[in-house]
Amino acid sequence: MLILPSLLLALGVIGYPFYEIIRLAVSDVSRFGMVRGFSGWENFNRVVSDPVFVDALVRTLVWTVTVVGGTILVALPVALVLREDFWGRGVARTILMLPWSIALSMAAVVWLWAFNADYGMINAGLQHWGIIDKPLQWMARPETAFPVEVGIGIVVSIPFTVTILLGGLSSIPSEIYEAAKIDGARPWQSFWLMTLPMMRPFMNIAIVLNVIHVFNSFPIIWVMTQGGPNNRTHILVTYLYELSFYLGRPGPAAVVSLVVLLIVFSATAVYMWLREREG
Amino acid sequence: MRQGWKWLIGACAALAMAAPAKAETVRMTVSFYSAATGPYFEKMAADFHAANPGIDVKIEVVNWSSLLQKLQTDISGGTNADVSIIGTRWLLDFVKDGIAEPLDGMMAPGFKERFIGPFLKPGQIGGKTYGLPVAASARAMYYNKAMLTKAGFPDGPRTWDDVVAAAEKIKADGGNGFGLMAKGTEVDVYFYYALWSHGGDVLDANQKAAFNSPAGVKALTLYKAMLDRGLTEPGPTNYTREDLQNQFKQGRLAMVMTAPFLINQIAKEAPTLDYGIVPVPTGTTQATYAVTDSVVLFANSKVKPAAMKWLDFLFTAGPRIAFTKGEGFLPTTNDEAKDPAFTENERLKVFVNLLPNARFAPTVTGWEDTAKAVSDAVQSVYLGSATPEAALNAAAAKANQSLGK
Repeated sequence: MLILPSLLLALGVIGYPFYEIIRLAVSDVSRFGMVRGFSGWENFNRVVSDPVFVDALVRTLVWTVTVVGGTILVALPVALVLREDFWGRGVARTILMLPWSIALSMAAVVWLWAFNADYGMINAGLQHWGIIDKPLQWMARPETAFPVEVGIGIVVSIPFTVTILLGGLSSIPSEIYEAAKIDGARPWQSFWLMTLPMMRPFMNIAIVLNVIHVFNSFPIIWVMTQGGPNNRTHILVTYLYELSFYLGRPGPAAVVSLVVLLIVFSATAVYMWLREREG
Repeated sequence: MRQGWKWLIGACAALAMAAPAKAETVRMTVSFYSAATGPYFEKMAADFHAANPGIDVKIEVVNWSSLLQKLQTDISGGTNADVSIIGTRWLLDFVKDGIAEPLDGMMAPGFKERFIGPFLKPGQIGGKTYGLPVAASARAMYYNKAMLTKAGFPDGPRTWDDVVAAAEKIKADGGNGFGLMAKGTEVDVYFYYALWSHGGDVLDANQKAAFNSPAGVKALTLYKAMLDRGLTEPGPTNYTREDLQNQFKQGRLAMVMTAPFLINQIAKEAPTLDYGIVPVPTGTTQATYAVTDSVVLFANSKVKPAAMKWLDFLFTAGPRIAFTKGEGFLPTTNDEAKDPAFTENERLKVFVNLLPNARFAPTVTGWEDTAKAVSDAVQSVYLGSATPEAALNAAAAKANQSLGK
């Protein structure tokens, strides 16, 4: 009885937008949100039959897997290094955390400049070292633009991930390493057989939170390529934004957001199930 | 005594009617055209307030790229301003939902006649006037005089053959000849320049997609051929209109097609650049794109007469000349067009002279979808993933679906 008010609040906060999305998804809606009538499955058909949607869906999965995977692969060794006690560790930790304080869209703008074909420092650097002989048009082709965006996605996810992993590492008592050393364990053995298994809960948290965050990450791709050229860097959120605000179709956009919701929801469900099984 | 009472009641009534009028506030959303836009409107609001102490005008400046999104959000939430600048091509959506108010009944006599006819027309739907042209521009080709003189065209290119020939020479000297834009807004329009000048059209008389005509294929093939032969900047899908304008200002690009406001930008940022302006090159005919932005009055405004008074003031000669000169647009009213700032500006004249052959974006629903479909098609051709013909046909099918054909 006492939790009833908060329950009602939660229901309102979650339920009302959900109701609105479903209502828009099955209606013929004008650009300005005016509902012109019930349209049944028409919005769904329209979205599903759009090749750009299917393309964006696949690319979203690629984007999520590569960014999260890459982040973990880079963040783990970084965290291991930062755990060691060395001179200047505090400074190194601070420097690593600094990018976190920059808004994602600002970071994307800065990177866009760095990858500018005519004045960007990336091209300037590569030319200086003689790796390329003329400027590369990074953002002109999806084949280069998307990997660049994935790379930036990894870079901006690292501070957060390293923080979680460092927290995990510091929870492992150092005595067990000494004990293992005395028993003759080699460094990679103690990493593989002790550090990794004990890090598992922290890795899980890092992966799940990153998946949810990266899956819905909008600024990098929107700032750098707006899903183009020729729709070939769209992920679901950028596609959704374009549908709703550029093409003025809130109905189909609501359908896409339902799909996004469904995917994130099932990812969370899988995670809960995994935890249940482990626990 | 009796008379006195009557007088008193009359005075009270007058006061009661005057009191709310005193507190009237007209809110206006304007788009950010340049750094001068905000200060201009603030100054006009102050001038207007001085002449009409009963009306306060509040200005809100919004970036062009997020203007439509902001209006959409404001309108859905019912918190929109009283008047706003919009892209005239969006107007139909506003009218269909009953969001824009027809102005005919509120206009002072002779108000409508102030405007230059062809610029007012896109703001009229179903015989009613909804949008007043506040900004107008047309497109022409800017060329770098030094580079083009060296290439043998000291007076600029006239035809597409000239453009190709000049770009070949400029390429041989290691420069970028023709600026091809394929990123951001108006990618489709950049293709329409060539489409129209080859005698094609975007939509036919039945509002069905017609850009995939032989003229369209020819136009896109021309662009693609220039790209393949290295006559453009490399990687056009990386260049927005602003990027190309910047390249032109820096003297790194010989030819680019864009709007009159680049004149002002060059004067400010690259005053030493020697350049000329010629009409959009011809294929078989002469054509350009003209575009207007309009001021609309929202139907849910509670201060319509006051708002109309403000608009009346904005569209008098003084404020108009200041605005159009400051932003580098084309005059939209007859009085301002007579000002020497426009009649004696040789560069601006090129644009004005193009107006009889200018095309406007048609007022149809689904125009944004058509623009997007064409832009995608153009990009896919530049990326080499489709032939001009296949890409345009696919885009036409998509556009027709959105156009309801």
